[in-house]
Amino acid sequence: MKLRAIRLENVRRFTEPARVAGIGDGLNVLSEPNEQGKSTLFDALQALFQRPHGSKDKEVRALRPHAGGAPEVAVEIETAEGRFTLSKRWLSKPCARVESGGRLVAQADAAEDWIARLMGDAAGGPAGLLWVRQGMTGLDHGNRREQEAALAARRDLLSSVTGEVEAMTGGRRMDAALARCAEEFSDYCTTTGRPRTGGPWKAAQERVEQLKAEEAELDATARALHAALDERRRLRRDLSDLEEPEAAAARAKRLAEAQAAHQAAERHAERVEGHRRALQAAELRETDLAVRLDGLRAALAERDAATEAAEAATGTRDAAQARVAAADAAAEAARKGLAAADATLEAAEAAHRDAQRRQAARDGAARRADLAARLERAEAARTAMEEAAAAARHGPDAATLRRLEDLDRDLRAARARRDGAAPQLVMRYAAGCAGSVMRDGEELPGDTPVPVPEGAELTLAGLGTLTVRPGTGPQEAADTERAATAFAEALVAADAETLDAARAAAAARAEAERRAGEAKARLETAAPEGLEALRAARAAIPETAETAETTAEAPPLDPCTTERALGAARAARADAENRRAAAEATAAEARTAAARAEAASEAADARRARAATALDRLDATDATALEEALAQARAAREAAETTLGEAERNAPDLAAAGAALTRARSVVDQAATRVAELRPAIAALDERIAQGAGDAVEERLAETRDTRAAAEADLARIEREVATLTRLRDALEAARAEARERYFEPVATELRPLLGLLWPEAELDWGDETLLPRALIRDGQEEPIDILSGGTQEQVALLVRLAFARMLAKDGRHAPVILDDALVFTDDDRIERMFDALHRQASDLQILVLTCRQRAFRDLGGRMLRLEGASDAGA
Amino acid sequence: MTTFRFIHSSDLHLGRRFASLPDTPDANLRGRLTEARHTALGRLATAARAHGARDILLAGDTFDSPTPSYAVVRQALAAMGENDDLAWWLLPGNHDNLREAEPLWATIARDAPANVHALIDAAPVSLGAAATLLPCPVAYRSAGRDPTEALVTMPSDAGTARIGLAHGGVTDFDDTGATIPPDRDRSARLDYLALGDWHGRLEIGARVHYAGSPEQDRFRHDRRGVCLAVTLEGPGAAPQVREIETGAFLWTRAGLRLTPGQDAAAALAALLPEAGRREVLLSVSAAGRASLAEQARLQDAATRAAPEFAHFRLDTEALATHYEEADLDAIDRAGALRLAADRLRAEATDDGLSPDQREIANAALARLYAIVREMRE
Repeated sequence: MKLRAIRLENVRRFTEPARVAGIGDGLNVLSEPNEQGKSTLFDALQALFQRPHGSKDKEVRALRPHAGGAPEVAVEIETAEGRFTLSKRWLSKPCARVESGGRLVAQADAAEDWIARLMGDAAGGPAGLLWVRQGMTGLDHGNRREQEAALAARRDLLSSVTGEVEAMTGGRRMDAALARCAEEFSDYCTTTGRPRTGGPWKAAQERVEQLKAEEAELDATARALHAALDERRRLRRDLSDLEEPEAAAARAKRLAEAQAAHQAAERHAERVEGHRRALQAAELRETDLAVRLDGLRAALAERDAATEAAEAATGTRDAAQARVAAADAAAEAARKGLAAADATLEAAEAAHRDAQRRQAARDGAARRADLAARLERAEAARTAMEEAAAAARHGPDAATLRRLEDLDRDLRAARARRDGAAPQLVMRYAAGCAGSVMRDGEELPGDTPVPVPEGAELTLAGLGTLTVRPGTGPQEAADTERAATAFAEALVAADAETLDAARAAAAARAEAERRAGEAKARLETAAPEGLEALRAARAAIPETAETAETTAEAPPLDPCTTERALGAARAARADAENRRAAAEATAAEARTAAARAEAASEAADARRARAATALDRLDATDATALEEALAQARAAREAAETTLGEAERNAPDLAAAGAALTRARSVVDQAATRVAELRPAIAALDERIAQGAGDAVEERLAETRDTRAAAEADLARIEREVATLTRLRDALEAARAEARERYFEPVATELRPLLGLLWPEAELDWGDETLLPRALIRDGQEEPIDILSGGTQEQVALLVRLAFARMLAKDGRHAPVILDDALVFTDDDRIERMFDALHRQASDLQILVLTCRQRAFRDLGGRMLRLEGASDAGA
Repeated sequence: MTTFRFIHSSDLHLGRRFASLPDTPDANLRGRLTEARHTALGRLATAARAHGARDILLAGDTFDSPTPSYAVVRQALAAMGENDDLAWWLLPGNHDNLREAEPLWATIARDAPANVHALIDAAPVSLGAAATLLPCPVAYRSAGRDPTEALVTMPSDAGTARIGLAHGGVTDFDDTGATIPPDRDRSARLDYLALGDWHGRLEIGARVHYAGSPEQDRFRHDRRGVCLAVTLEGPGAAPQVREIETGAFLWTRAGLRLTPGQDAAAALAALLPEAGRREVLLSVSAAGRASLAEQARLQDAATRAAPEFAHFRLDTEALATHYEEADLDAIDRAGALRLAADRLRAEATDDGLSPDQREIANAALARLYAIVREMRE
């Protein structure tokens, strides 16, 4: 869309028709002093495009002249479809028309729709006009609160940018919607999406939990009540069973019968006991008589036996005494035989010893001679060894000799060093002068270096003496001195004149050591256990001096012969000994037997006396009378047994009767106890049931169940609400991010070259949240928009606007840009660059500049417009 | 032959608290509903007098729970006792069964006025010269057997009509076998079988009837509660059964099928009853399809109408959103908000997503619409 002409009538000061005609493509400038109706023109344009013809709002009323009348505005526009004239009249006979070439295209509401479509509806994009104006513009609908918010937001020069941004992105409305959404959301949730404490979601959850708990509690109470009812029913049944009269009577009758039976059984038992005692008495008498009879018979038998035994014992004793006398005689004879055998043995032993001694003397002489020879050899070897060892103690040993050799080597080395460091003499004799230099009386050799560490005195033939003194070299000299001293000391220690003498002494010492070793080996062969052992062995063999005389005196007896005689004598003696021992044993036995027979005889006499006494003591001695009494007692006992057996057989079972009685009694007692228990138990249950029933448990349970179900439905509703809000919030945030992608990157792309015109290297930073320019970045410095100077702010605003317009134009949506005193703060220098920017944009945009800065804008260029009176011949 | 007249009712559920129903802001609704159950006793008495009957047979579930509060029991007994020209016959049902409600029946047996009778034994009771009442009290909450079996062998006074009184279902919903055979009237030679348990009025056969609750308590039967005024001309004669309306509140459901472009608010208005809204509990289920704007208008209309009713519920779960460009334009013609709206619409109509995701996207879009609308106001 492009503007071509504007016509006003009855708009503020323009009570007469006025028009701006000939608005061209590109840049148009309407430069008028203040109060010439420039802002009126701006407001009129806004009203035409944004206020329905039926509107009577403040903006529309503000257009009316003081004198009254119906404001009329008409514009001529050109679109892709052709040229159209839009006109509106407000307040009185309001109307709206769209005409094309004198033909009516639309009127009234249809015309409004037509204009709305023109303003962006058809393009599906933002409004078709872009306004830039200083200060507040009161366009836009919205309630008072929002208008106030808008006013606050529009205090800065970006106000109209904000408006456009919103048109495209929802901007503040999006923020408001998100805020509403978040506000409702935060009622329910924490920022992390969990139920918020104190919020309705949490409250609903808690209420459901609480009701569940209450329900469970009431349910438990109801169950307890039912259990109590069942229990009471059971107990009541028990009680009525117990208290039934027939049952009670039956119990009593059973008890009485059991008691009677028990008493009868007890009486019978007493009778049986009497019979048992009678039987015991009869048994006692019988036993007593039997015992007495047995005693009498035994005493008589004993007396007879004892008499007989005593006579026999006397006979035995006499026979034993005779055997003792015979045995004693035999023992005496055996002892004599033994004495004779002893004498024979003694003689045989003496003969044998003598024969042995002579044999031993002959063996000892040979052995002694052998030992003496070995001892002699050993002593000789020891002497040789001791001599060699003494020789081996003289002379240096191997270690000492090694040390001497080392010290000698050191001394030589020291001397060599000393000589190397010492001054040297080299004599080269001239021909024929050999040997004409002497040193210490010796000829100094020619062509040979001679070291003179301690200087030298040279006798030069025919010339005199030449003294050479060494300058330095005390170090080497001292070393040599020390080495010499060490070597000399070592020689003294080794007890040798020279090193060669020491070496000879060491060799002699080694030879002596070898000899000592040989002698030692010989000694060990002769006397492996030492000399002392050898001597002791020789001393152990006796001298055989007397053997000579014995040999002469009697012929030597063979020890074998004497030994046989000795054996025979020993055997004879042993025989005799055995015989004596046997005889003595026989005698002893006989004596013992005699003693026993004596004792037995005495015992038998005593027994005979005791038996007689015992018989005397018995009162009844008539065995026949006793036997008769016993027979009578036995008959009495048997009769008593029969009587008892009879009574016992007929006895009733006392234990069974007792058990029956106990049971019958316990049945009665139990019934009484149970009744005593049941009554209070039932009373307690009565109380509990009355209480439970009075609390209307079931009624409250049903109510709680219903309430819980309702609370759960409520919770589900809230959860759904939260899900809805979450979904809405996500959708809004996603859309906002996408809008940024869709609109702001293109705008930024358009804006970059424009910014470059004014501030090379400058960059705009767009706020993520507000989608508005946030800061200008110049030379790396970030300057928030609101602290930029007024001039810079308005320049940025204008450039942003132009960038929008360009972006829309590229989409095929041409939107005129109308600037109403948009550059009041911009200085003249900067304004040139702004003009350049405007021209640059004007090549493909229509820009309408309204300004009161006539002088400043003179150089802007572009088409100059005039506001002039118009005839009624249309716009 | 003597004519015998009586009132048959059941399932008063005295003491019911309606906790599952969201209460009105003044917390009045639940109280009113509970109170209406109590006052139904008076309306039953009125119906009995109008019918010329002396006996009122209550076929079980007179009380909502086995242990109703003392106030509920005492006040009910007092209300029955005040109508001392009538005889009230109370049968234990499954809610007030003999086992769990033993204290309740003990209380009634001990403290009830002389004209109130607790039928706690399955034994015939004479109702005078003309009829014998054959009660089948419920012993356990779920007995697992047919409670009317005993009726077959239960004797009755010669020459009197046999009236069975029982509580239980005729349809085996939970497969327990504990159902009453629909031909029990024939097998037990009954002149009339008065049944309870089903809260709506239901005729099983000429002689077998459910009276339903005299005061409804759920959105199911779509009519006010009634009691049955029964006339027996004599043994063997077909009973004459007449319904007498006793319900104070009407619980009703209405379907609202919408199509795009239809004026939803007007359609809703057309559904609403003209008068007596204060005693009406209405549950409207919207179905079909409506635009965001229509949905918003429907909600507004519902919000306006709701306070006139005892209870008003608008269920839009089955209502699909019809997306119109104008709705989305109302959010924004272009820009990020429109982008978000387009995304949500695409998600809400994407058959590739789970129904849950679609519904949430739909709800989010509706919310965005509402937020933008509020911001504009």
